[in-house]
Amino acid sequence: MGLTLERPTQAPGPAVPRPSPGSGRGSRARWVWGWAYSGILSVLLTLTVLLGYLVTGIASGTVDWTALLTSSTWSPGNLAFGGLAMIYGSAVVCVLALVLAVPVGWAAAVALSEYLPPRLAKPLRLSIELLAAVPSIVYGLIGIMVIRPFVADLGDVPGGDSLLAAGIVLAVMIMPTIVAVSVDALAAVPGRYREAAYSLGLTRREVVRSAVLPQARTGMRAGVLLGLARALGEAIAVFMVIGRADDRLPESLGDVFSFLVRPGQTLTTKLAGPEPMLAGTSGPYFAALCGLGVILLALVAVATVWGTRGSTGRAVRAPRARRSSAWLRTPKDRLTTFARLGALLLPGALLVGMLGILLARGGAALNPVFWFTASEGAAGGGIRDQILGTLLLLATTALIALPLGYGAGVVIGTRASAKASRVLETLTVAVGGTPTILLGLAGYVLFCTTMGWGRSWLAGAVVLVPVVIPVVALTTAGRIRGMPAEITEAALALGLTGSQYVRSVVIPYTWPATLTGLLLGLARAAGETAPLIFTATVFFGAPALPTGIVNAPVQALPTHIFTLSQDSGAPEAIAQAWGSALVLVLITAGLLSLAVLLRNRFEGARRWTT
Amino acid sequence: MSFLSAETRKRAARLTGRRVRRSASVASASLLLSAALTGCAGSAKAGSDAVQASGSTTVAPVASDAAEALKAKGLNITVATQGGSAGGISQLGTGQIDIALSSKPLSEKDRKAYPDTDFVPTQIGADAVGVIITKEVADGGVKGLSKAQVAGLFEGRITNWKEVGGPDLPVFVYDKEPGRGTREVLDKFIYGKGEAPAPPKSANYAIVGGNLETRNKLKSTRGSIAPLSTGFIEGHPDLVAVPLDGVAPTLANVASGKYPMTRPLFMITNGKPKGAAKQYIDYVLSPEGQKLLPEHGYLTREQMGL
Repeated sequence: MGLTLERPTQAPGPAVPRPSPGSGRGSRARWVWGWAYSGILSVLLTLTVLLGYLVTGIASGTVDWTALLTSSTWSPGNLAFGGLAMIYGSAVVCVLALVLAVPVGWAAAVALSEYLPPRLAKPLRLSIELLAAVPSIVYGLIGIMVIRPFVADLGDVPGGDSLLAAGIVLAVMIMPTIVAVSVDALAAVPGRYREAAYSLGLTRREVVRSAVLPQARTGMRAGVLLGLARALGEAIAVFMVIGRADDRLPESLGDVFSFLVRPGQTLTTKLAGPEPMLAGTSGPYFAALCGLGVILLALVAVATVWGTRGSTGRAVRAPRARRSSAWLRTPKDRLTTFARLGALLLPGALLVGMLGILLARGGAALNPVFWFTASEGAAGGGIRDQILGTLLLLATTALIALPLGYGAGVVIGTRASAKASRVLETLTVAVGGTPTILLGLAGYVLFCTTMGWGRSWLAGAVVLVPVVIPVVALTTAGRIRGMPAEITEAALALGLTGSQYVRSVVIPYTWPATLTGLLLGLARAAGETAPLIFTATVFFGAPALPTGIVNAPVQALPTHIFTLSQDSGAPEAIAQAWGSALVLVLITAGLLSLAVLLRNRFEGARRWTT
Repeated sequence: MSFLSAETRKRAARLTGRRVRRSASVASASLLLSAALTGCAGSAKAGSDAVQASGSTTVAPVASDAAEALKAKGLNITVATQGGSAGGISQLGTGQIDIALSSKPLSEKDRKAYPDTDFVPTQIGADAVGVIITKEVADGGVKGLSKAQVAGLFEGRITNWKEVGGPDLPVFVYDKEPGRGTREVLDKFIYGKGEAPAPPKSANYAIVGGNLETRNKLKSTRGSIAPLSTGFIEGHPDLVAVPLDGVAPTLANVASGKYPMTRPLFMITNGKPKGAAKQYIDYVLSPEGQKLLPEHGYLTREQMGL
C-alpha cells in the first residue's frame, strides 16, 4: 500500500465526452494502427535516409579511414583528407564548454533545489528553462558581438576568432540545459532522505553531499551528456566565431594552450562551410565529407543515448561511507553556501545580460512597424517576410510532425513490449539528437539535388520534421506511461479492442501532452539555422509567401540573422540582426509559454526541456 | 502499483497485438507514407516561374538591386549566396538554379564536372580585387606591396608588418574559403597558372566566407590583411586597398587593365538565357541596369570597353 501512496497525484485528464448513440464509437477504428505505425515508420525512415545518405556517400568513393582519423592535412585539391585537426577542434571546444559550464551548472542546480525557498526557486527555474530554449543563432550573435572581442583582449590576439571563443559560446549555450536537467534530478530525491540526514545533525553541506547527491548523481550526469551532445552537434554558433582554419594541430604541450586563443576548425564547422556544395554528390571528396558526418553522428549518438539511458537510473549505487572531519564544520558549510549561491548568480547574470543586450540593441523589434513591413535592400526596413517565412515553415512542420510524432508516441507507449519499446525509444532519442547540420545536408542532397527541387520551403519544413517528431513522440509516450492503470483496466474490461482503446481512451487522455510536446519541438525548430541555409532560404528576393512548391524558397528569421551577423561592421545590419534575434526569441518564448500553460492546465508539473 | 500497471499494460499489449493484424497495419502504414511522399513529389512538379540566382557575394548586391527593380514588373527573382561562385556554378550544373552568379571565369574543370550543362556566361561588368589592409598599417608606412611581398604575407612567411616597412605589428591573414572567386583571382596574381600551396600553419591565419564577413573581420582585427573586392571598402575609411607593384586600383588603372587583379563578373545560364532569366540579364545589361554597377564600386561593360 505504501507504494500506492507514492504514486504522484494525477491531474484529471480532460473529460471524455459521453458517447452518444450512433456516433460510430462502436466501429473498429482500424485506421488507428495504420496511423500509429506510420509515425514509428517515419522515425525509422529518418534514420534510414540519414544513414543511407552517409553510407552511399562513403560508398561513392573510397574513404581512407586511417588517414581520416589520424592525419591532420585536409587538402581536397591534393586528395588529402585528414580529419584529425577537426576531431581535435571538436574535442577541445567541447571540453572547454564542459569545464566552464559543468561546475557552475551543478552548483547552481544544487543552490536552486536545496538552498533557495520554493517561492524564489520556481520562477528562477522557469527562466533557466527558457534560457535552454533560446535559439543557438542568438548565442552565435552574442558570440560574435561580445565574446570574440573579449577573447581578443584576454589572449592579446588580433581578431579573437578562436577555439576558446567557440568553447565559451557553447558553455553559455549548454549551461541552462545542465542546470535544468540537474534540478529535475535533485527534485526527484524524496524529502525523507533529507529529513533523515538533518535529524542526524548534519550541516546543509553534509546533507547535500551524503544524502542528496548520491541519489541525484545519475540524473545530473545525464544532464551533462545531453549538454555535451548539444555542444558536439552545434554548427552555426561555432561557425561564426572559430575562424575555420584547417590543419591546426598543436605539436607540444605549450602549443595546446597557445592554440586555444587561435583559430581552428571542428567537424560541424567544416560541414557547415561551402565544401559540401563544392564536393558534388560522389567521388572521394564527397565520401570524405560523409566520413566526417559519420564520425560526428557516432559521437553525438553515443552521448545522447548514454545520457538518456542514464536518466532512467535503475541501480543507485550505495553511497560510499564517508568520514568527514568535524574540523571547521560550520565555516565550511557557510563557505559552500556562499559558493553555491554565487554560482547561481552566473546563470542569473547571463539571463539578465542577454535580455539586456537583446532589448537594448534590438529595440527595433518592439515597434510593430518592424514586424509588419517588408525589408528593403540587405538590411533596411522591417522583417515581415522573414517572420512569415518562419511561420510558414513552422506551420508546415507542425502539420507533418504532429500526426507522425503522435503515432510514434502511441506505439512506443501502448503497443511494444518493454524491450521493443526501449529500443524504439532509444532510436527516437537518437533521431532527436542528430546534429541538424547533417539533416540539412541529407535534405540538400535528397531534395535539392537528387529530386531537383532547388531551394524549396517544403524541403525546409520536411528537414525540420525530424527535429520535432521525437519531442512529440517522447512526451506522448511518457504521458501514456503515466496513465492510471484503472483507466486501462476499465477499458479492457469493457471489451474494447486495441484500436478502440487507443481511439477512445489513450488519445483523449494524452492530447494535451502531445500538444505540449509539439509546441516544445516547434520552439526548437524555430531557431534552427543549419538545415535551412542548404535547403530552403535565400539571401534576397523570396516573396513573402511562396508561389509554388519546388524552386520556391522563403526567407526565415534564423538565416536572416546569420547573414546579417556576418556583416556586423555595418550599424544598420547590426540593428536589424539584434531586432530579428529579439523577434525570434519572442516567438520561441511565445511557443514555450503556450506549452507551459497547457502543461499546467492538464498535467502535473513535469520537466519539459531537455 | 507500478507492478500492477506494468502487468496491465502487458495484458493490453497481448490482447491487441495479434500478429496478422500487426503486419497488415505495418503494410498499410508504409503505403500511407509512400503515398504521402509521392503525392508531395507529384504536386512538386507544378513549379513556379521564379528565377533563382545563386553564387558570388560580389555579384549579389547588383543582382539583388536588379531583382528589386524588376519586382515592379512582376518578375520574381531570388538571390542566394551559399557557397560563393563555385557553389553557384555547381548548383547550376545540378539544375537547382537558373542563373549562377560568378566573380570568376568558368574553368575547364567546371565544364568537365558537369558535361550535361551548356554553361553560357554573360559578362555584366568587372571589378577589382584589392589586397586590403587596415589604415593603421597603411599610415604606418605600407604604401605599396610587391607580388613577392603579397605571396610572403599570404604564405605566412612575413609575420610582422615591419618586414615590409610598416609598424611593429603582427600580421593577421584572412583568406577566403575554397571556391570563392576572390581567392582564385589572388592565386592567379601570385602564382600565375601554378597551383597555390597549402595554407600556412601560422597561428595568425583564419578563413572567411562572403565579402561582408571579410570586411567585418578586417575592420575588427588589428594588422589584418585579406583579398576583397575594392567596391566593398568604399565608405570605410579604416580600410585601404594597397597598390600592387606600384599600381593602385583606381578606375583608370582597372579599366586599362594595368591593375593586375581585375576580374570580370558573370551571370551564367544553362544554354542561351530565355524567358524570365533573359529578361533579367537583359535588364542588367541595359543602360539602366548598368548604372547599378558603379553604385557598388564596380565597372560597367562600357568602362571595360565591351
